[in-house]
Amino acid sequence: MKKLAIISFVAAGIALVSCSDVKRKPGAIYMPDMAYSRAYETYAQRDSSVFTTDPNDAENRIFYNNLPVAGTVARGEELPFPLAKDAAGDTTNYVASRQIANPEAALTPTELKETERLYLVNCGICHGAKLDGNGPLYKDGKGPYPAKPRNLVDDAVAVNMPDGQMFYVMTYGKNLMGSYASQLTRKQRWQIAHYIKGKQAEKHGGATTTAAAPAASPAATATAPAKDSTEKAK
Amino acid sequence: MTHNRRFIKNVVSGLIASFVLLISNKVSAQDGKALFSANCASCHSVTKKLTGPALAGVETRGPWGDRKKIHDWVHNPAGFMKTDAYTEGLHKEYGIVMTAFPTLNEKEIDAILDYVKAEEAAATAAPAAGAPGAAQAEETGDSSLLFGIITLILAIVAFTLLQVNANLRKMADDKEGVPAHEPVPFWRNKAYIAFITIILFLIGGYFTTKGAIGLGRTKDYQPEQPIFFAHKIHAGVNQINCLYCHGPAHDGKQATIPSINICMNCHQAINEYTGKEKIYNGEGEEVNGTAEIQKLYKYAGFEPGKPWDPSKAKPIEWVRIHNLPDHVYFNHSQHVTAGQVQCQTCHGEINKMDEVHQFADLSMGWCINCHRTTEVKFKDNGFYSLYEKYHDQLKNGKLDSTKGITVEKIGGTECQKCHY
Repeated sequence: MKKLAIISFVAAGIALVSCSDVKRKPGAIYMPDMAYSRAYETYAQRDSSVFTTDPNDAENRIFYNNLPVAGTVARGEELPFPLAKDAAGDTTNYVASRQIANPEAALTPTELKETERLYLVNCGICHGAKLDGNGPLYKDGKGPYPAKPRNLVDDAVAVNMPDGQMFYVMTYGKNLMGSYASQLTRKQRWQIAHYIKGKQAEKHGGATTTAAAPAASPAATATAPAKDSTEKAK
Repeated sequence: MTHNRRFIKNVVSGLIASFVLLISNKVSAQDGKALFSANCASCHSVTKKLTGPALAGVETRGPWGDRKKIHDWVHNPAGFMKTDAYTEGLHKEYGIVMTAFPTLNEKEIDAILDYVKAEEAAATAAPAAGAPGAAQAEETGDSSLLFGIITLILAIVAFTLLQVNANLRKMADDKEGVPAHEPVPFWRNKAYIAFITIILFLIGGYFTTKGAIGLGRTKDYQPEQPIFFAHKIHAGVNQINCLYCHGPAHDGKQATIPSINICMNCHQAINEYTGKEKIYNGEGEEVNGTAEIQKLYKYAGFEPGKPWDPSKAKPIEWVRIHNLPDHVYFNHSQHVTAGQVQCQTCHGEINKMDEVHQFADLSMGWCINCHRTTEVKFKDNGFYSLYEKYHDQLKNGKLDSTKGITVEKIGGTECQKCHY
């Protein structure tokens, strides 16, 4: 009897001690029918015997790849950018994008506030809240990012870059910068181009504002060739 | 005497000359740093291959032993490339020709090169200093095993001593001739039995109730993820906004898990973890950040130094932590945008978590409590323009917009808000 007591005591002790306080399993569920969705939820794994992501296999199984049909334009969204991404080492479309005008109207105060928020969330981390190319990821070279992000208000390349080329860079990326097409809608990207241009004008006084106005008009006339290239792209 | 004077003169002039040289050297190195970060750092790093090659040891490669050639190259890369096979090869490797810098004069280019040399020397000297500091992890390890064993030993000792005490008393009684009545063993002692039954009943009841309440609730759930992603480093130390990766929390139902291209926006360039903050997993073991970035590269199909082809990426199967049952509707944008609730209110201090665990229990009581006490931020909030009645009352001064209107008052505890 005493032996049994000691053994059970030791066993209980070991069981208690071996319990980690890190909860690696989610635990039991009450009424799984009510907890787990019968419909497919975001990120839920689909049954590969019923669904396929391969369009060639659409005859046999249900084809579904989460993407909208090619060419879909959401309501209120800008039309697609007419230029495709350059092949590696080529800069034809990058240069051509200079001619494309910003289709968005100048920002209203509410839009400006929202665009500033978008800039700070998505761009400011590298290019800095003051657009000086010194965001928290670079921090004068002390941050983890090894390359210096472009100074958007002082660097001549950025100051002379028209909206269309900025849109190209935001959409397809340039050098080490990646594409932001998955994070920002086309409308938001055009608005951010407005925002950066506005900040540049603010920094350099009236000089660039007056320079920006005539720059906008040739760009506006350049919409005609841009439309041509839309058709080419199709 | 004259001899001495000349000697002193020599020494003094030598000292002045070396001092001037030292200062001018220092100035040029500093200039070099400024020039480097203004002109070169967007594409070149001293030690890492970025858009362009790493500049460490540049003067030992190709035609660059001759500084004049470097000057020509920087002033007109496209022109220089036509006359030089080495740079032609670089063009093929990187798929891009360097931008021309005709405004940099030769002195400035030399200053940049001197800065690169100085940085290179500093970089090779640094790893020797960075070695110690590995032994610390041992001490912070889990000591609960030790405590468990000690408790167990003490319990056995106490039990043995009680037995010894009982035996000794019996022996003493025998010696004194006190007629010892036959002792009732403790498992037949009615007081003991009643006591133990009540204790067991209470413990059992407590655990049954707790278990029943906890069914389907996953507070503190901390699954192991395919890649050890430290929110502490990203959102905390590096101050990346939550919405950079979880942007749709602002506009939609789901906060969404970022796709690989969002990771690679930064990690194409950041291929190692060199931060001072150490990363620990739930068990208290130190995690090697650089190795975790390598795991990301495996999923992304990325080889450092080569252009990344996103079509080769495979999705990472992150384990979902926060999960509401199907019969509850929850929308992030309603809380983040209309309600202006901070992420940390429900998710805890994510920016301080090495490994994320579920902070709130996500029970209905928890939701309702927050809706009862959270005051609605009406001011400058487009979402509530629908609540005309409240607006009128606010204008009349019948309601104070800064206090008193909880989510409950605008229907936040109606059943249909979440269950429909």
